[in-house]
Amino acid sequence: MAELTETRSIPVAVRLRPVEWARRHLFGTWYDAALTVVFGGLFVYGAVWLIGFLIRSDFEILRVNLALFMVGAYPRAELWRPAAATVIVAALIGYVAGSASAAAQARAEEAGLPFHRARPKEVVARFWPVLAFIGVVLLLTSTPTPWLVVVSALIAGVVGYLAGRGQPAPVRRFAWVWSVGLVVVAYLVLTGSGIGWDRWGGFHLNLFLTVAGIGLAFPFGLILALGRRSSLPAVRAVSITYIEFIRGVPLITLLLMGIFALGFFLPQQLRPGDVTRVLVAIVLFEAAYVAEVVRGGLQAVPRGQVEAAQALGLSPWKTTRLIVLPQALRATIPAMVGQFISLFKDTTLVVVVGLIDILGASQAANSQPEFLAQGLHEVTLPFVGLAFWVGSYTMSREARRLEKRLGVGER
Amino acid sequence: MTVFADATKAKGEPIIELEGVDKFFGSFQALKDINMKVGRQEVVVVIGPSGSGKSTLIRCINRLEKHDRGRIVVDGVELSDDVKNIQEIRREVGMVFQQFNLFPHLTVLDNITLAPREVRRMPRKEAEELAMRMLERVKIPEQAHKYPGQLSGGQQQRVAIARALAMQPKVMLFDEPTSALDPEMIKEVLDVMVELAESGMTMIVVTHEMGFARAVADRVVFMADGQIVEVGTPEHFFTDPQEERTKLFLSQIL
Repeated sequence: MAELTETRSIPVAVRLRPVEWARRHLFGTWYDAALTVVFGGLFVYGAVWLIGFLIRSDFEILRVNLALFMVGAYPRAELWRPAAATVIVAALIGYVAGSASAAAQARAEEAGLPFHRARPKEVVARFWPVLAFIGVVLLLTSTPTPWLVVVSALIAGVVGYLAGRGQPAPVRRFAWVWSVGLVVVAYLVLTGSGIGWDRWGGFHLNLFLTVAGIGLAFPFGLILALGRRSSLPAVRAVSITYIEFIRGVPLITLLLMGIFALGFFLPQQLRPGDVTRVLVAIVLFEAAYVAEVVRGGLQAVPRGQVEAAQALGLSPWKTTRLIVLPQALRATIPAMVGQFISLFKDTTLVVVVGLIDILGASQAANSQPEFLAQGLHEVTLPFVGLAFWVGSYTMSREARRLEKRLGVGER
Repeated sequence: MTVFADATKAKGEPIIELEGVDKFFGSFQALKDINMKVGRQEVVVVIGPSGSGKSTLIRCINRLEKHDRGRIVVDGVELSDDVKNIQEIRREVGMVFQQFNLFPHLTVLDNITLAPREVRRMPRKEAEELAMRMLERVKIPEQAHKYPGQLSGGQQQRVAIARALAMQPKVMLFDEPTSALDPEMIKEVLDVMVELAESGMTMIVVTHEMGFARAVADRVVFMADGQIVEVGTPEHFFTDPQEERTKLFLSQIL
């Protein structure tokens, strides 16, 4: 019996020498060989081209305009503000991660289950695209300030994490209060000395619109989705009308309306700045899509779940909150993240209404006198693309992780 | 023909009363003039061909279905459209479903503590102690921290029974509790139900398990086409049925 098991495990254990492996897998038949030659050739060509591009190109345009790409038209004398805010946000992220980890450990211990604490190596493996992008930015710096920011942010993140892990349980219960506090502090630092968010720009603006857009559109969309299934005809009609109207209109139209039409409905003193208008348009737009995604999830929850909750005496609201929504939202993670990734990329559309986000910054840099004649879009656009790819890919990977973790109790 | 299923062998005063209950699904009449009383600590087994209205009958008792005519009184409270009444009755009436309907996103322990904590406002610690007692009662305390998806069908149904019991209901409704189970798991669930009946729980059980009916039921109610056709003790029922429909049904399944 033992022998049999051993024989079976052999194929797994076999390690071919590279030449042997290549012969078997890459040149097994004549068409394997043909594919290998074609794609191998393309790969080598691409690699050579990329290396040549990196050597040949002059990245001066990025070096000179790094601040423009990152924070747009933010007053240069006040650049310490976004820097300080970055460090605070890093501390916040560390703190939230630390608190979550400590809470997970407490739960696991209470239930007598094993707990796996994340190792630094795993964190790096999880977020390597972000770290790589930070590395690229650091390579492009001509002053020591960005290094200072990155190093401080790293330290702040680690300190925040340790604080989150080490805090006593009664303090941890209010983790969300401290977190909101840090967000408020970061906001106050950014908007201090009269700099409203309407002067924000660059990649910072894209990130802000994405995070604020998701944060506001999600609850709004949730309400719309529940409204669409409401037993009250008026609520249902309003929800359906809103969703179908918004989904029939392109985002650019809404952005333009936000900029040019929103002001007409409000008195002079109450007219918001451009970024606020754009944010309103994005939230209105995204909410309709979030609502449809959530509706799909709500439909996926079996009728028996609601009946079981009702039979136990749970009120309709508690049934929705404790039984239906947790299951519905889990089912919507892939679609929801897809929606958020497309929101992230759609934030570049604010260029249309004259805001300088990272894409606007690349256009602006290319029209500067010293770069105008050189046509350096081939340098700036890949940089912009890289920034978005890093964000999108990280979101998508984190979503897959979350899906897997929540899949534990799947039927 | 109206059969009045009175609490002939009731061990106490009636806790559930149905009077002239009708139920329609569109133009289809699922229940026709149902009259029935269930006494405290009584075990009533409802049998009948599929589509005869057995499930609808017990689902009306805790308002998972709304009856269209007649009166349903549970422990002195009449079911009406008043949400407070409905909630009050649901707190006192536990239900076990054919498909278990455990909450897949919660552990076994959380499945059981949810209602005591959220409906009865019981502190977590107390609710968890209660849940563990209930799990011991259905003989699977070691599964407390697993998710429903990790359990066998029989274990899931026993958790569902524990979940309903944790609300300390006065009545338990069972809607074909063993019909979705593999044969080897039916017994473990029936054993739990037998013990529950012996402990004095008032139970209404819709089932095809004639062995259970014979062994545990105080009364057997036979339904067909939305009507109660015949009522009697198991002895009467399985040895000397009166109605032709009953005889036909029993000849088909025994």
